[in-house]
Amino acid sequence: MVHVIQAVRTRRRSRPAIRAVLAVGLAALMASSVAACSGTSDTTGTSANAGATGSSAPGKVGGSLTVWVDAVRLPAAQAYAKAHPNVHLKIVTYDGDGNGATTLQAKIQLWNRTGNGWPDVIFSEQVNDPVWMAQKPFDFAAPVTGLIPASLLSQWPAPSTAQCTINGTQYCVQDNLAPVVLWVNKKLMDQFGYQVPTTWQQWAAIGQKVATEHPGYIIGTSGDSFSHWIYLWGNQCPLEQLQGSQLLINTADAHCTEMASLLDPLIKDGSLPPLSVFTPDFAKKYGGADDKVLMMPGPGWYGHDLFLATLHIPAGQMTTAMPLQWENETPITTGQVGGGPWIIARHSKNLATAADFVTWATTVFNPTGANARPGLPAYGPVAAQWLAGQATNPYYASDPTPALKAASSLIWKGWNIVTYPDQPVWSNTVVTGLVAGKSLSSLLPAFGSALGQAAQAAGYQVTK
Amino acid sequence: MRIAARGLRLVILAAFAVFFAVPVLWLILAPTKADGALVTSSPLSFGSFHQIALAWDHLDAFSDHIYRAWIGNSLLYALSATAIVLATAIPAGYGLALGKFPGRRVVLTLTLVVMIMPAAALVLPIFLELNSLHLIGSVLSVILPFSFFPFGVYLAYIYYATAVPRDLLDAARVDGAGEWLTFRHIALPLAKPIIALVFFFSFVADWNNFFLPFAVLADSSQYPIQVGLSDLLSSTPSFNPAQGGGGQQVNIFRPELALATLIAVIPVAIVFLLSQRALVRGMLGGAVKQ
Amino acid sequence: MSLPALTSRQAEAAHPRGLRAARMRARRVPRGLPFIVPYLPFLIAFGIAPMLYALDLAFTNANGGVTGFRNFTRTFTDYRFVPAFNHILLYTGVWLGTLIVFVVGLALLLHGRANRTSSAFRFLFYMPGALAGAASVLVWLFMLDPAVSPGSFLLRHVLGAQLFVQSIAPGNLPFVFAMIAFWTGAGGWIVVMYGALNTIPHELEEAARIDGAGPFTIALRLKLPLIRKWVAYMAILSFATGTQLFIEPQLVNEASLGMVPDTWSSNQLAYQLAFRYGDFNGAAAIAADLLVIGLLAAVLIVTRTGLFGRED
Repeated sequence: MVHVIQAVRTRRRSRPAIRAVLAVGLAALMASSVAACSGTSDTTGTSANAGATGSSAPGKVGGSLTVWVDAVRLPAAQAYAKAHPNVHLKIVTYDGDGNGATTLQAKIQLWNRTGNGWPDVIFSEQVNDPVWMAQKPFDFAAPVTGLIPASLLSQWPAPSTAQCTINGTQYCVQDNLAPVVLWVNKKLMDQFGYQVPTTWQQWAAIGQKVATEHPGYIIGTSGDSFSHWIYLWGNQCPLEQLQGSQLLINTADAHCTEMASLLDPLIKDGSLPPLSVFTPDFAKKYGGADDKVLMMPGPGWYGHDLFLATLHIPAGQMTTAMPLQWENETPITTGQVGGGPWIIARHSKNLATAADFVTWATTVFNPTGANARPGLPAYGPVAAQWLAGQATNPYYASDPTPALKAASSLIWKGWNIVTYPDQPVWSNTVVTGLVAGKSLSSLLPAFGSALGQAAQAAGYQVTK
Repeated sequence: MRIAARGLRLVILAAFAVFFAVPVLWLILAPTKADGALVTSSPLSFGSFHQIALAWDHLDAFSDHIYRAWIGNSLLYALSATAIVLATAIPAGYGLALGKFPGRRVVLTLTLVVMIMPAAALVLPIFLELNSLHLIGSVLSVILPFSFFPFGVYLAYIYYATAVPRDLLDAARVDGAGEWLTFRHIALPLAKPIIALVFFFSFVADWNNFFLPFAVLADSSQYPIQVGLSDLLSSTPSFNPAQGGGGQQVNIFRPELALATLIAVIPVAIVFLLSQRALVRGMLGGAVKQ
Repeated sequence: MSLPALTSRQAEAAHPRGLRAARMRARRVPRGLPFIVPYLPFLIAFGIAPMLYALDLAFTNANGGVTGFRNFTRTFTDYRFVPAFNHILLYTGVWLGTLIVFVVGLALLLHGRANRTSSAFRFLFYMPGALAGAASVLVWLFMLDPAVSPGSFLLRHVLGAQLFVQSIAPGNLPFVFAMIAFWTGAGGWIVVMYGALNTIPHELEEAARIDGAGPFTIALRLKLPLIRKWVAYMAILSFATGTQLFIEPQLVNEASLGMVPDTWSSNQLAYQLAFRYGDFNGAAAIAADLLVIGLLAAVLIVTRTGLFGRED
């Protein structure tokens, strides 16, 4: 119903011939209802949906559109271009604000100053980007409500929508959900005779055991710019907790220090090296046919992006287990790495097509097989399909989906999204120290005060 | 003793030669190998020409042939700015060397001071100024600041003050040629060597400038190659692993990055190859004169 | 950095008598002004005005109100300000030290034997200058990665860096940047020093040799003092340039997953203040700090070294 009304509105508002508008409206109606209800969307993401649109934004889909994406989202953008020959799509690949880069802040400042040049759509790897994009002085993001039909928006899980909602208005849609699970190398675990752990303590015990029994094998890493999201966020360490107008940053909290003490021996014995998983060095040391990854707490998208595509770990080895629990504490909580949002520019002169692009990329684009989306799609119906595909994916040693599904509702809510990136703070205060042989416990206070400085510089009032 | 000293001298020189030359050699060889081979094979071995072609295909495909656009932009910015530099600096040097007017010394001193000041110190001030004039993001916001090249003025000034026979100019004036005609027909043709030199320095300075275009340009298709290289670095997985496994589709790895770097320096390298001899000879010539 | 120097030699070549004569003639016929008219707008718009405007911004707030030195004290107490200045001062110190010792040393080693090996060496030293800016940083990112570097032996066994992240450990960075700057810039300076050494009259050297001075003594006692002002010029200029460091830490930041902060150098901090926080007044204050350093150095060179001819 909504779509019919929208289509009528569209007709009233826009100039082009009524027939064309109706056609677009009908197409919108069909595409979105197909995607929303039956879930049988185009699985190759390339052919069948040519010319279709999932958007009900006023205006006609077509014309030119500029999108900024990271390298991972490039195939989605390319597929959209192929499926929509009437849209002249200009794709700009950029760093995705990865690792807490502030590329977009600088760029948007510039575009705001020049008064033009804004792209229509941006994908960011940073969940926190929409927060500042929605506010002064950037004022970049357009509310998605009204651009993307409510019937579609409602199919994003509530926590995901919450991450995109700033001061009561939704400014983005998430591409994927990125809860941290425990990745396990079933082949190696069986070979070494280890049990899959359910608690951090069991996991750490295996780490110490493997360090003596099979040195060189690892149970995770501590050198990524997002490692604190895996270990500290997951263990409810309050480093980014909004309490009214105050931001709580407390590295002395037991949730932080106990995790640090647990990790320190592992970092020392080499089973949790302070090395980023995506560095060539890491791939050389731990990847390949004789990989040395025994376990790895990490986000769902590690399966495809890291183990398959980067480390080239052979099929039949990796699978997921439930997020780790701290002793017998409940509820089990976990961290999040990713969940990048799509943002539409309020300056876009082609909002209809921009909305169509975002809708298509999140609710329609879902190729199968080797080209499948790397992470658990955020949009419910696509997620269902994706999970069905992954469940039988021969790459995994066993069905990885139960843990992925379960973990997505376990992300700890006490870690809020703030306007400044915390990854560089972690990297340049903690990771550099770990590389130099210092212990995480000894680095925590410095990490806390550096976070406090970054927060204050961004205008937060900090409490400890 | 003598022989030992001579041997030591050669050893020191050779060690530094290795330090200076090996990275260049590595850069030339890197695009001949696949990314994996860079790690496994000997660092200074040659791969194959086929790999270069492959690397170029990947590089060229990046972001819809944007690499070509970057090179084109660099040429556009450097050449048009250098043209303006030549048009303004040569007459200015002439005027400063042979003219007499109020404020001449002030202009000369200011030129000298700005010339010696590091260019980077002026980038943010220029950005702030262009910003207040709403010129940010336009191509002119790069070309116009590039067109201010006090060093070129100083070069022309020194040249006219020392190397041009004054009698010739005087003779022209006696013949009744106006100021402009004297400059046009006598001074300008005499300035050929200095025009080449100003061209060289201005072109190289503009081609290599990173900070200013980085600060004032918003659209990556407007970038000159220096900023493009940084874009390439940050949006590909070679050094920016956030792009991780998904970055495989972008196909920009170390060989492609090395090739991009190599192509980016070709114009400057050519100018360098041509210039060193001339510069040294010029210096020796100057010495002889003294 | 070597570029101005290459031709400022010509300033020296400037014939004092010729200049004086020119001035006298100029006095007779006032002329020349029209020739500098096309240049003046550029000098004013991109040389003088930005400095004045930056100063204006540095002493005012976003609404244009005069704030005195508040922007300066505010940025000085920013938690990134002191580290950034420490970084660039350490970097500049290391760079200056290596530049002076090695450039002078190598030029002296090369000089005195104007044979083919000497010119071949000069060429080898000079060529990396073509790879300035982003290109040099990219090359050195590879050189510092033990996985692909031809110098991996040195990285592993001398520096103890098994991994790229160890090569770019925070403590190494000033040295790494100094090495990159040395690699691209030293060759040009060696050519300059070599040229300066060539201006030393042969008779002087001959006389010293007849007096029994060895090549060492000649180099240290005779040649070095004679090129002292060139060394001073190089040092001041390099000091000023060193404090403006931007591109090297910027690119290493991009390549290091944020392990190297994006406010490593002062110019980066100013850039971040302007672009990330929209704090143009704070950015202008830091830019003004750096401007003053550059300006002081420039004035020092122009007025003290006597390398630049201004006719008197």
